Amino acid sequence: MTRTLPLLLLLFAPLARAATLSVTVRDARGGAVTDAVVYAVPEGRELPLAKKTAVMDQKNRMFVPHVLPVQTGTAVRFPNSDDIRHQVYSFSSAKQFQIPLYKGTPANPVVFDRAGVVTLGCSIHDRMTAYVVVVDTPYFATTDKKGRGALASLGAGKYSLRVWYPEMTSEPAPVPLTLAASDDKELVVTVRK
Amino acid sequence: MRIASASLAVLVLTLASHANAEDALHWSGFALLRASNGIDTPVLREKNLSAQLHLGVDWSPSPFLAAHVHLLARSDDANARRGHFGVVEAYLEARNQHVRVRGGAFFLPSSRENVDALWETAYTITPSALNSWLGEELRPIGIDASYTRGGLTAGATIFRGNDTLGAIPVERGWSMRDHWITLGEWIPVDAEYDTSASAENDHRAGWSARGAWTGANALVQLTHVDNRGDGLPYGRLFNWGTRFEIVSGEYSKGDWTFAAESGWGPSYLIVFGTKYTTDIRASYALASRRFPRFRATLRADEFKAMTRGRALTFAFLWTPPGHLRPGFEATTSGGEQRVIVELRYSFSGR
Repeated sequence: MTRTLPLLLLLFAPLARAATLSVTVRDARGGAVTDAVVYAVPEGRELPLAKKTAVMDQKNRMFVPHVLPVQTGTAVRFPNSDDIRHQVYSFSSAKQFQIPLYKGTPANPVVFDRAGVVTLGCSIHDRMTAYVVVVDTPYFATTDKKGRGALASLGAGKYSLRVWYPEMTSEPAPVPLTLAASDDKELVVTVRK
Repeated sequence: MRIASASLAVLVLTLASHANAEDALHWSGFALLRASNGIDTPVLREKNLSAQLHLGVDWSPSPFLAAHVHLLARSDDANARRGHFGVVEAYLEARNQHVRVRGGAFFLPSSRENVDALWETAYTITPSALNSWLGEELRPIGIDASYTRGGLTAGATIFRGNDTLGAIPVERGWSMRDHWITLGEWIPVDAEYDTSASAENDHRAGWSARGAWTGANALVQLTHVDNRGDGLPYGRLFNWGTRFEIVSGEYSKGDWTFAAESGWGPSYLIVFGTKYTTDIRASYALASRRFPRFRATLRADEFKAMTRGRALTFAFLWTPPGHLRPGFEATTSGGEQRVIVELRYSFSGR
């Protein structure tokens, strides 16, 4: 144990030095924008495609969550937790797919290999809609009811901070950022809504 | 995951039942509970075992375009002509993110109960009096278009057929059963006349319009239907002019779902130049809770046309993993009771 502890501290030391970024998204009247995706894209650095998995569930004839941000390359499962059937589709250019009528969990996940916003729907239930926001970065968050999202474990360097939210008509201008390893910054982004 | 897809949905229903009902409430046919309006109403066959087979075929060459066919075969035709086998729905659909256009024969998208594929109810074995009627007598044959944005939906339908809409609640009486009328089927409403969703006698198009708001856990919808029937007889088909409003709402939280619908409006016919109008009305409210392996639902119905009635229904559906769903349902109305046990097999896949 006495030998393991210093080793662990050494191992996790870089994490402790990573920057964090708290972003609050507000509309023009100062109201909180919920379900906005805030993401920081590193400048001048190519990131490998993610080998991650994520879940977009269906409960009470709703997609849960309503907005799911994922890194490019993420495999998303679409379990159906309802006791009725769903038929999921997307006709967004970033990813077009259909999952035929089903209950339970389909065997194969859907891999989102291109950045962009993917709008989901259900052929049986018109009211069901949700978004998979595919971004070229592992640094992203969804804003809560207070419009806040937190990005953690950012390395030192230059970033471009971007925001997306449902029913967005024009993309807000990206915010250039330079972060030091020990930074703990807070930002407020105002969007037209 | 392919862009084009085809899927098949199969539903087999077998049902055993027992009822303690006399006079006004007759037990008969496939899960039938109905309010009789007089001695001329046809006595429906008494049967305590029946079965249905539903087959749904969906084909979609791309997410923008889909085709759907819903076929039905049943052991009990409820004395209808061409009632044993037929097409329930058949339509083509084009859609994008905000607009959906559907052409063919389809259910009007108004029900808060019949929310599963093949218009199955998720909460009980037999639907409310309101949706039993809409499933048995209304099947728009035409074009439906809807626009959805930011939780608001506006939709409109122009349809042919359905000239006899209104005959069932006024002439035969409200029922609680799942006899979805098929295209070309004629269902008797009394000794002389039938009703048919395919009836187009006066060549006047009917129409419907709806608006809905969808929130995080709730939905409210207003629907108007007008079949623009001329109220005149055409052989065994008597046209009814029926205008109907439906207000519906739904709220889900956790494992609970609360849903309610109320429909009302005048329906008229013309006999020897005299117009006779009847106000028809049906409402229900239900509370349903889902547990890990079963669902329990309590529903209260109220319905009125020539007669007035109320019903209380309790359903217990066992929902184990797999394809089988055994269910139990008890209904009481005016001191008379009906009990149904159902075994349902459903399959969907490619």
